[in-house]
Amino acid sequence: MAGLSLKGIYKRYPGGVVAVSDFNLEIEDKEFLVLVGPSGCGKSTTLRMIAGLEEITEGELYIGDRIVNDIAPKDRDIAMVFQNYALYPHMTVFDNMAFGLKLRKTPKDEIKRRVEEAAKILDISHLLDRKPKALSGGQRQRVALGRAIVREPKVFLLDEPLSNLDAKLRAQMRTELAKIHHNLETTFIYVTHDQTEAMTMATRIVVMKDGFIQQVDVPNKLYKYPCNMFVAGFIGSPQMNFVDAVLTEKSGDIYLEFKNNSLKLPDSKINDDVKSYVGKEIIFGIRPEHVHDEERYLESMPDYVVEAKVEVTELMGAETFLYLDVDGEKLTAKVAPTTTAKADENIKIVLSLEHVHLFDKETQKTIIN
Amino acid sequence: MSNRFFQGVVYQLKESIDRTVGVLDENGIVVACSDLIKIGEKHDNVLSFINSTLDTVKDDGYTYKPIVQAPGFEYIAFVEGEDELSEKYISLIVIALANIKQYYDEKFDKNNFVKNVILNNILPGDVYIKARELHFESDAFRVAILIRLSEKSDVSAYDILQSLFPDKQKDFIINVNETDLVLVKEVKDTNDNKDLEKLAKSIIDIISSELYIKAYVGIGTIVDNIRDLPRSFNDAQVALEVGKIFDTENHIMTYDNLGIGRLIYQLPTTLCETFLSEIFKKGSIESLDYETLFTIQKFFENNLNVSETSRKLFVHRNTLVYRLEKIRKLTGLDLRRFDHAIVFKVALMVKRYLVSNPTKF
Repeated sequence: MAGLSLKGIYKRYPGGVVAVSDFNLEIEDKEFLVLVGPSGCGKSTTLRMIAGLEEITEGELYIGDRIVNDIAPKDRDIAMVFQNYALYPHMTVFDNMAFGLKLRKTPKDEIKRRVEEAAKILDISHLLDRKPKALSGGQRQRVALGRAIVREPKVFLLDEPLSNLDAKLRAQMRTELAKIHHNLETTFIYVTHDQTEAMTMATRIVVMKDGFIQQVDVPNKLYKYPCNMFVAGFIGSPQMNFVDAVLTEKSGDIYLEFKNNSLKLPDSKINDDVKSYVGKEIIFGIRPEHVHDEERYLESMPDYVVEAKVEVTELMGAETFLYLDVDGEKLTAKVAPTTTAKADENIKIVLSLEHVHLFDKETQKTIIN
Repeated sequence: MSNRFFQGVVYQLKESIDRTVGVLDENGIVVACSDLIKIGEKHDNVLSFINSTLDTVKDDGYTYKPIVQAPGFEYIAFVEGEDELSEKYISLIVIALANIKQYYDEKFDKNNFVKNVILNNILPGDVYIKARELHFESDAFRVAILIRLSEKSDVSAYDILQSLFPDKQKDFIINVNETDLVLVKEVKDTNDNKDLEKLAKSIIDIISSELYIKAYVGIGTIVDNIRDLPRSFNDAQVALEVGKIFDTENHIMTYDNLGIGRLIYQLPTTLCETFLSEIFKKGSIESLDYETLFTIQKFFENNLNVSETSRKLFVHRNTLVYRLEKIRKLTGLDLRRFDHAIVFKVALMVKRYLVSNPTKF
């Protein structure tokens, strides 16, 4: 078992492309750490540097208390599972899982023990005699995981292992992976571009963009307290609404003014930082679940009511998404499925400013969460 | 086809050994035997033992031994009897049969044939004759994929690829040297490039996870005739070489997508040197430091957009404008103008090409 430490890691390619910049992170032993970000943000490169498949241009990487920059990948005590996993088609599940060990001349009894143990963890003991073509997508994915588990590594590195599965299977496998991590009690480093995967599985999330770490935190805090507009927009589905606004002060109160609307900021959202933005343009963000159309909200929060035109409604089953136009600003609301709002209708909505996030328009950094 | 050869040897052995001698295929079926009646019989009990030991096994009045003692063996020799003499006999029989198999493989092995074709070790006129002899489809869509390992491995990448592509009639794995392997694969049609890239990703992922080493893949052009296979292999080599110069962060290079890099790769170096000296005043390209080159790279990545680039570089817009002005003074090229930018981009590529001194194919 081991924690990892990444200190000032850079990856520069000879052509001048910088994939990762100043990456500093401490990864605890047995943690399920997820690196998330849009494609090209450097998350896979970071994982490959940890694996030893990419050279580190600058910085230090520790696994446990050993610096491993110059240690060959095979001696780093890691195992990898990639997106484009392929099983050997003419081998049984047992042989697929045992293949890597056989190549390394592991004793037969040991191979048998490890494969059977891994199969038990993955709940595929009954499939050991089957060939890959007789397996479902999820079962194949488990076999791919099994190939990594039999190596008994200190650290598992997973690079978008679920992205080849359909949505339903992916949701199932997310739960399975969390369970497997719990059973194995080993460090998992997982790369994905899917924020849902990150939020549901991670003990901690690293959000990356353009090769830089944007924020590292536990899922709940990342969602509630994003440090900038990028994180706020990337985490959460549907994504946070962003609206250009100006902060004004009237008789000691601070107002958020956008288009023809002027909404008073609650006291909980006012501090010295916010006051310093009075008279300036800012961007406010509000999550779709904090935009309401129910009568009880309209009655209890009359100060935050604005008029909106419904453009599209999407019934998702447990909730309904309303795509709204507020004086030219596009907003999404996540409301109860019982809503009576219809397309092309003008309705009243409540922006629950208790949950508003304010961002600096220039730097896009958070002023207040 | 090798069964005929085995049968010939088995008959000769019968003269010297007064016992039944024969050969089983990988399914345990007798394919050659000194006692002709036994051909077609099944000895499947022995398969699991042989699979686990890969050595001599005695069972039900016979002694067995695989002809090649390695995983994925194709044939097992057997001799009547379970005594000590049978063990000696089987060892000698296996030597004789292994030799004939090797002779057969060299002469009739399709893999060997494909290897000779892509490496141009066979006369063009002989290609079709040999293909017909081997029942090898000449007119099929095929592509050569070159797989280059970043270092030698103590575990065989060949075994891994052979296991990944077990269809010995359509997929051929060829070891070119210690780090290079070629996969010649039959594909559906010429528009298969997306699938091929996916396949290349699978190859890289499996080599990374099994061997813990980096691999690069060059995908040649899809050809429709065996005669053109050497060209596909050559294109795969060019793809890897061009990728090594101009696209260092990518692990998969497709010949069809090499773009301007392929054009530069084909230019004579003297012409390139002349071009550089004409574009830049003496030493001016060398006077650009890393930070300036990085700025230029980002400026190009962001489609010559000053605001977007300054945001990505975390610098003020005026700082970026100042840097671009500095470049203009040094080189005479204003990167905000498209025609100057493209000259600069090509010049940087030419410079990289000259520095890397690539192998020409």
